[in-house]
Amino acid sequence: MSSSVNRAKNLESVISFCILAILAAITTGIFIRQAHTGEKELIDFSKMTPAGFETASEIEVYNADNLYEKIDGKAPLYTESGFEKLYTRRFASPADPNLAMELYLFDMGNIRNAFSVYSLQRRADAETLPDFTFAYKTSNALYLVHGRYYVEIIGFSESIGLSKAILEVSQNIRNNIPIDKNAKIPELAFFPQENLVAGNAKFYLASAFGFEGLTNTFTAVYKIDDQTVTAFFSKRPGKKDAETTAENYYNFLIANGGVAKTAADKTFTGKVIEFDGAAEIIFTTGSFVGGVHEAENRQTAEMIAVKLLNKLALIKQ
Amino acid sequence: MTEQNDKNLERREFLIRTAKAGVAIAAAGAASYLLYDKKGPAQNTESEKIVTLPNFSVPHVQGQSLSIVKGSDRAKTAAKAIELLGGIERFIKPGDTVAIKPNIAFASPPMLGATTNPDLVAEVVKLCYKAGAKKVIVTDNPINEPAGCFAISGIGKAVANVGGEIILPKSSYFKNTTLPGGTLIKDWPILYEPFRKANKLIGIAPVKNHHRSGASMAMKNWYGLLGGRRNIFHQDINTIIAELAMLIKPTLVILDGTEVMVTNGPTGGSLSDLKRTNTLIAGCDMVAADSFACGLLDIKVSDLPYLAKAAAAGAGTTDYQSLKPILAEL
Repeated sequence: MSSSVNRAKNLESVISFCILAILAAITTGIFIRQAHTGEKELIDFSKMTPAGFETASEIEVYNADNLYEKIDGKAPLYTESGFEKLYTRRFASPADPNLAMELYLFDMGNIRNAFSVYSLQRRADAETLPDFTFAYKTSNALYLVHGRYYVEIIGFSESIGLSKAILEVSQNIRNNIPIDKNAKIPELAFFPQENLVAGNAKFYLASAFGFEGLTNTFTAVYKIDDQTVTAFFSKRPGKKDAETTAENYYNFLIANGGVAKTAADKTFTGKVIEFDGAAEIIFTTGSFVGGVHEAENRQTAEMIAVKLLNKLALIKQ
Repeated sequence: MTEQNDKNLERREFLIRTAKAGVAIAAAGAASYLLYDKKGPAQNTESEKIVTLPNFSVPHVQGQSLSIVKGSDRAKTAAKAIELLGGIERFIKPGDTVAIKPNIAFASPPMLGATTNPDLVAEVVKLCYKAGAKKVIVTDNPINEPAGCFAISGIGKAVANVGGEIILPKSSYFKNTTLPGGTLIKDWPILYEPFRKANKLIGIAPVKNHHRSGASMAMKNWYGLLGGRRNIFHQDINTIIAELAMLIKPTLVILDGTEVMVTNGPTGGSLSDLKRTNTLIAGCDMVAADSFACGLLDIKVSDLPYLAKAAAAGAGTTDYQSLKPILAEL
């Protein structure tokens, strides 16, 4: 056989081997990708089971496409807040079938998203738990933020034994699911501390108070005498954006029946609106939009607004 | 000479390879021709047929369209509410096959109020048999795994204890339907088979807050009949609920406001999401029943746009007072 034919055959062999090598590399990549789904490495559910309990279901995993199959109409709350995955598993006592619970572990991508869904669902009768930065329990359930995870542990009955087991699951989560311990939410410290009701801060990633333009908004509750006031702020990309957002929000309130009022403090640069029998206040300072929402007493509302404005004005932007 | 041989060999090699390629192409073409199905996939006429749910309603009786009973015992308040509407005999005749549609969306225990209370479902099954029903079936298309939902909600056991028949959804039970004049329910699968042989339909729903629609009550309960990727309707939740109210014409609806989920619905999870309001509503007009129940959730009728939509479409009235609801307290 001639040398040119041999060269051609050799070339074909080389190309064939290259193609096979590429295919092998792709296959290997797929296997590696499947074997390293990230969360499976981080979460060891075998360590979640409380003493005296057994797993009562397989681990269920949901993503943004099928989350509704688990929580139906509440899915948008999560999917609009950075939701990545939900893992659930039930545990039950073999000795007493009434002692059962279900663990919901929502991977929200980061601590801010996790705090958002945690704060927006916080129960009224919550008892804050000291072991976590954000955690509370009710008579049958426990809710917490653990790094990027928002966690619900729902008891299927009400009993001291079950409450203890639920608490143990929360501790198992804290001890066995690694998180970025440096992840914080610094904005929560931007609120003035005087008269602040602890543990009531909320974080709206979108549409605070029904207004689409008010995104990334933190709220906190103040109690002065018997007056309750909700203060808020949203950090915008810049001063101009803050002013535009404030103006749009003001126009939104006026368009929906709000009436402009004059602030008692003539030096106050914000706007006061009477809306549906309550006081609304909007101000800007630097790149912050802030104010007070649905305050029964306008004087108290203005006082809180001024304090918040002064505090935000001191924050480096 | 050698160069000439090389050329001959290359030519021979070329011809051999061309012939091989030609044979391969011919073989593939022949195989494609032989395997080609000129008729295409066989039409499954049964499954692709558009179906329509029958009208299960009973004749209107003036002044007996809505009853509201205060009390904490669901079995007693339900029995009383039905009695006030003319008794179970008005709705169920001897020999009837009754389909009951509770809300069993979740694998959630009764205590959490995310699903219809099992004692209430059992009581209605018993009343139907008492009126002479031949068969009472209880069905739903839960979003969670059906068997688990029926078991954990307690409804499976409660119904079995009183002789009802549980029908779990299977893919073959879904048929496509279209709501005439509807914008969303067009050639969409609904749970049909359990209702095919029924001639009466009773909806039993809890009163719940709902993150997307504002509230889940009698009308929203029919959402459970939808098959397919029904979550796409969450984008236009008010229209889909109104259309369901136009599509489904039940015999009776029962709305359980004994303990309502006022926050974090529709799943809830904490007992603190619930509020005891000790109210049970029965009616032939589900728009009116839902409109009344708004008060139990501390919301206004105008907070739920689907109510006005359904009323405008003729599915009922939001002015429940115009029906002169019959009130009782136990």
